[in-house]
Amino acid sequence: MQFKDYYQTLGVTRDVTADDLKKAFRKLARKYHPDVSKEVDAELHMKEVNEAYAVLSDPEKRAAYDQLGRGYQPGQDFRPPPDWDAGFEFSGQGYSPHEAADFSDFFAELFGRMGGAHAGARHTHAGFRAQGEDHHAKVLLDLDDAFSGATRQIALRVPQMDAHGRVQLTTRTLSVKIPKGVRAGQVIRLAGQGAPGMGGAPAGDLLLEVQFKPHPRFRTEGRDLHLTLPVAPWEAALGAIVPVDLPHGSVKVRIPEGAQSGRQLRVRGHGIPGQPPGDLLLNIQVVLPPANTPKGRELYETMARELAFDPRHQWRA
Amino acid sequence: MRDDDILIGSLMEDSWLTLEQVAAACMVDSAWLVRHIEEGLFPHAESVAGTWRFSGSSLLRARRMRQIERDFDAVPELAALVADLLEEMDALRGQSRRSGMG
Repeated sequence: MQFKDYYQTLGVTRDVTADDLKKAFRKLARKYHPDVSKEVDAELHMKEVNEAYAVLSDPEKRAAYDQLGRGYQPGQDFRPPPDWDAGFEFSGQGYSPHEAADFSDFFAELFGRMGGAHAGARHTHAGFRAQGEDHHAKVLLDLDDAFSGATRQIALRVPQMDAHGRVQLTTRTLSVKIPKGVRAGQVIRLAGQGAPGMGGAPAGDLLLEVQFKPHPRFRTEGRDLHLTLPVAPWEAALGAIVPVDLPHGSVKVRIPEGAQSGRQLRVRGHGIPGQPPGDLLLNIQVVLPPANTPKGRELYETMARELAFDPRHQWRA
Repeated sequence: MRDDDILIGSLMEDSWLTLEQVAAACMVDSAWLVRHIEEGLFPHAESVAGTWRFSGSSLLRARRMRQIERDFDAVPELAALVADLLEEMDALRGQSRRSGMG
């Protein structure tokens, strides 16, 4: 395991004050905000920044990190002392154990064995029951999975409490059947797969939020499937029937005579399956053949000469 | 792998998310969520017969608002404004992707 220099991650010196640390963190939080950042790997950077800040903004963790990390260089092989068992309470700065599950192995090794916020849970009183918490994870699926259904392996890093009331990070692999017809943003509920309950109460549920991996051709909106359909000028002008390949099978679509770029065709019932199924929406894009051969040029010149066509006639109205 | 090792989930309709589910999934207090709803900062929630229910997009909104409040010590109204802008941006990005410009 490599040593991580949290000070370097936040671009601050080791004697940084709490105020300056916060300032440095906010600057980076803005720079790598996953919704707006133009930086490469913004999400990954943000995770590292969050991890560094979670440690350095907590005086107890910072002190422990400073003490342990003395003499280490970033990237150097790092092994915490065998008796290292700080028993930190993981409550600082609003980072929950679930977010900490996303942090690096280095973090998990140092602070993963924390006597967590749930440590009190081991003192169960007679007759006290509480249902386990619902857990939540995002799952990234192929668009094809929505059409045919699929069984996918999903690996989750979850903090779990051991017999001594300490939280350990473990990896859980689940095989989950993805139902046909699932949409982006929808939630799949796995009953009883969340946190265990206390005092014999039922476990919580695991909620999986579905997202699709970007597809080179298709976009989805609810159950509707959007596709840009390139057509030749003569197909658009004269009308045509063109085959369109879909994630499952293909359909033949009639292009109406006189179709223009930007026009949308709706083919009912050919989107993501369901009750009712979504539609297929085709955005027509007329693609011009190049005039890079004598024949090509001649055809364009004939059109220019013989068709009284002015694409800008509306400007003169 | 045996067939009975495979977990079969149920698809939740958007309106099925409860206050507790959203709070747990986004690692916020139920009280935090209720406070934000009552202050009108969480338009994704609707009350049916006295019980709050949430659409799937609530998860993203709650996470964004919490993150902005925490990372920048932002007041809830500002976090809600940023979340509104990000949602507007999502909608525009979706439109431009669907029309083949994205």
